[in-house]
Amino acid sequence: MTAQTTQINPMIRHRAGHIGRAVPRREDFSPLTGRQRYTADLKLPGMLEAAFVRSPEAHALIRSIDPAPALALPGVHAVFTAADLADVGSFPHTIQYIRPVGQRPLAEDRVRYVGSPYAAVVADDRYIAEDAAALVSASTEFEPLPSVADLDQALAENAPRLYDDWPDNRLVDFPAENPEVTRAFAEADRTFTETYVSQRQTGLPLECRGVVADVVDGQLTVWSSTQSPHIVRSTLAMMLGVPEPQVRVIHPAIGGGFGTKTHQYPEDIVMAWIARRIGRPVRWIEDRFEHLVSAVHARDQRHDVEAAYDDDGTIRAVRCIAYCDVGSGEIFMPGTAPVFVTAGCITGGYDFPNMEVRPVCVVTNKTPSGAYRGFGVPEGMFVMERIIDRVARLTGTDRVEIRRRMILQEDQMPYIMHGGGKVDSGSHAKGFERAVELIEVSRRAAEERYAGDPDVRVGVGYTNYVEPTTPTYHLTTGHWAGYDSATVRVDPDGKVRAALGNTELGQGAVTTAAQLVAEALGVDPDDVTVVMGDTDRSPYGLGAWGSRGAVVMTGSILMASDRVLAKAREIAAHMLEAAEADVVITDGAFHVAGSGAPAVSWAKVATAAWVRTVDMPPGMEPGLEMSGYFEPPDLEHLPGADGKVNAAATWANGAHAGVVSVRLSTGEIRIEDYAVVHDCGTMINPMIIDGQVHGAVAQGVAGAMYEHFQYDPDTAQPRFASFMEYLYPTCSEVPEMTVEHFETPAPEQPLGVKGCGEGGTIGPPAVVAGAVSDALADLGVEITASPVTPSAVRRAIREAAGRSAAS
Amino acid sequence: MKPAPFDYFRPATVGEAAAALSSSDSAKVLAGGQSLIPSMNFRLSQPSLLVDIRGAAGLDVLEAGPDGVTIGAAVTQSRVKDSEAVYSAVPGLRRALRFVGHLQIRNRGTVCGSLAHADPAAELPALAMAAGARLTIRGPAGERTADADGFYLGPYWTGLEPSEIITGVFFPAEPPGTVTTVDEIARRSGDFAVAGLAASFAVEGGAVAGARLVGFGVNGRPNRLAAAESAVRGFRTGAVEKDLYEAAYEDAADAVEDVHADSEYRREALGALLVRAARAAVSGGAGMEG
Repeated sequence: MTAQTTQINPMIRHRAGHIGRAVPRREDFSPLTGRQRYTADLKLPGMLEAAFVRSPEAHALIRSIDPAPALALPGVHAVFTAADLADVGSFPHTIQYIRPVGQRPLAEDRVRYVGSPYAAVVADDRYIAEDAAALVSASTEFEPLPSVADLDQALAENAPRLYDDWPDNRLVDFPAENPEVTRAFAEADRTFTETYVSQRQTGLPLECRGVVADVVDGQLTVWSSTQSPHIVRSTLAMMLGVPEPQVRVIHPAIGGGFGTKTHQYPEDIVMAWIARRIGRPVRWIEDRFEHLVSAVHARDQRHDVEAAYDDDGTIRAVRCIAYCDVGSGEIFMPGTAPVFVTAGCITGGYDFPNMEVRPVCVVTNKTPSGAYRGFGVPEGMFVMERIIDRVARLTGTDRVEIRRRMILQEDQMPYIMHGGGKVDSGSHAKGFERAVELIEVSRRAAEERYAGDPDVRVGVGYTNYVEPTTPTYHLTTGHWAGYDSATVRVDPDGKVRAALGNTELGQGAVTTAAQLVAEALGVDPDDVTVVMGDTDRSPYGLGAWGSRGAVVMTGSILMASDRVLAKAREIAAHMLEAAEADVVITDGAFHVAGSGAPAVSWAKVATAAWVRTVDMPPGMEPGLEMSGYFEPPDLEHLPGADGKVNAAATWANGAHAGVVSVRLSTGEIRIEDYAVVHDCGTMINPMIIDGQVHGAVAQGVAGAMYEHFQYDPDTAQPRFASFMEYLYPTCSEVPEMTVEHFETPAPEQPLGVKGCGEGGTIGPPAVVAGAVSDALADLGVEITASPVTPSAVRRAIREAAGRSAAS
Repeated sequence: MKPAPFDYFRPATVGEAAAALSSSDSAKVLAGGQSLIPSMNFRLSQPSLLVDIRGAAGLDVLEAGPDGVTIGAAVTQSRVKDSEAVYSAVPGLRRALRFVGHLQIRNRGTVCGSLAHADPAAELPALAMAAGARLTIRGPAGERTADADGFYLGPYWTGLEPSEIITGVFFPAEPPGTVTTVDEIARRSGDFAVAGLAASFAVEGGAVAGARLVGFGVNGRPNRLAAAESAVRGFRTGAVEKDLYEAAYEDAADAVEDVHADSEYRREALGALLVRAARAAVSGGAGMEG
């Protein structure tokens, strides 16, 4: 571990030692022993089961739906279509610069992708529901429309349009102009153009989505596998026209989210509507086939790049149109935000102001795209590192040296990126140097390993990224913004309960929160009970996404705890008959500083506050529960007049480097070794952070080499139905990795904490593409697209051979 | 992902199983269920009746002797892979089975089930062809045998009649000087092959005297590679490998394109696999256990 001394923020008063400690995760026991209760484990008396009928057509008008055959099936209770949901509005249109898609919970008269839900069946069980769904499907009359399967088709002149009232298929086309870039292009020695592609993927949580809805005495309860229960509640209330206090949303244990479960899905709305309509509990548990076609996809970007450089290897400026294929666009929150993040973060850990990116979101007849861990950053870093490697190759500059010249230095902090991102601190330069040092050892070992095999080449790839964490939700949703909440209560026995607006998805938020409360109150983490994911039990908050948990929990828990502590000291001082200023906490109890008098425990103080109120200072309000609503400092929610915005409160950074071997004859790639030098500021629980990095790198490897949603170019039909076609890496494919940390505290944030959930996903596509290109450099191979598969490698080798034969 | 309604029958004898299969137009044999059940859950397959043969007397036989290995229809892939007696008689079986799925799949999946299912990218049908295996088949008219070579007609399509059951398979013991290898390129460990080669080489005096070569995963069925079988004759260490590569490449002229690889890739990969296998065969089988 290469770690700097952690600078402890003065907000921590007790130095109880719970920050920076690898406290074992309390989240693991239940799932590992089969005791975890997921949405699919809920059984309510009289519960019925729903199945959604999904479009088999990529683009079609719905002419008619005959529910009669399905209704005639024994065990079928109801078939609902958009016509039944006339009292439910469309999903809100909250962002004015994007075009409205008018999404209804069930498609009304037109379907725009295979998998689009247009009817729901309610039956005794899922078997019958699926039999009935097949009957509804068979009795639906579609009128097929010409489909649009990719960007080129969508952008073509006279392309079929998905939305008749739009002039084209652009959901948003955001102008970009940087006069400095224009000047740099005029002055530069040379330019090149290239197209870079990041493929369509998804977050792929182990647990698919699921919803159970029930109405009792007018109170609607919805159990949903969501990352943001309060936002689901607000959306349900808004769309169903139900008073918000009459809606309760609970997320049971969640088997992963990865951004996929941040969106407000039509199934949540329809299931709640059905429960209200039929007066019985009803559930829908998504299967994997449904998940692959109807939960949001992500990435799917193409960058048309023009780069200007000098013969000495200086990159002068880059101009780029960043296209994102957002599928049909029928999802709330819209899938437009990631490509804006790409645009803002594309320069990564480099000092590179002359960047001009024009984000364009294009609709096609594919599953709507949206959030996935990394949220646009991996696509951008792929482009940036490929540009850097290209200029290094064109000018004969060393690939490490060219990065050294560009990388952010500590004395540049705070560094304002070209799009307004404020990188307040970091270890960019020294992180890169350490990654290079680690990977050189691995490279030599790999070269020795394959020295006798002329069919194998070895190469190295690098990336230096920034990870925008704790972002605003306002630019993404057009509605919510950036705070989160904590309510901390000390019960009469002195044990603590912390209820949070954040949610636990498997990432370790519960353990992390317990450490923070323990540190703030000077108690043991085992004495802290953490409550999340139930809108009746936890305060309004925005949930878990954007690598925000560590920062917003730190802020809100410290705020609430400070308030609890201040009151507790007052009570303790009264009980100790001492001045409040003389009362300190050590070993979990209140003492008079420097006095041998007996201590007053948290239990005594809390009993006074709740039970023996006669022991409280005269006139003091009873109770020992306080809340904190923390808005991260430095976080901007709207662009300034110059169009720039610091849309994230903290900016973690990392350097990744990897060594690959490539077999020339078959294109097979093996990641021989992988190094991550990571910096998320003050680490609350280093073990949890390592786990975040390991898992995220695995997902990054998925993007680099495996996962790819492919569609038939003629019909826009998915060429996937299962994990036979959509390949994720297993434990055999995820490489061994070395993870080291620097800790550069965020100067403006409580405890100096930065987020850490997504950085691992950012590196691997850039690293693998760089390493494979390096391994095959003498053949003239340049990888410009992910995933880098054996077939793609062989194609690149053939094409390079063709080019050199032609020249 | 729930199957359409179906009936289930677990016969005690092969005779009962055969009768049950004849009783319905769309009955299916259930053994390990590793391909059939997912296909039913996707409703791609909607049999009216499943005949579960795992309890039928005599189908769990696994015998390895000097002549070869007999594998009954209820024998799991794990049992075959783990048997040292099988390995001594027919080492090719373990070499193929290491590529078949994962441990959990092999614990349920059966050798005969894979032979009957005829996935074009499966290892076992190709090995059966290369190794000269013979299938024992029971149908309404009684029992017959069929050579694996010639049994595979297309994707999931064999010479098996709808009311017939493969009750067992016999792999002849490898004669001295024979080297049987199975190698493949798959996207991930345990996946079906993007391109694969099952090969049985007769090696004499350090050179290939003859070979049965079967490509799989390349097109719609496991295929004997005629040009490659001819080109590989006489191959020895240090010989020119280009001819082998090109012969296999030609044999795979009708290679398919799918989400995992283009057709050109499959042709190149098959060429590379043949070179790799031939090299290993003439150097005493080095590296064949992966």
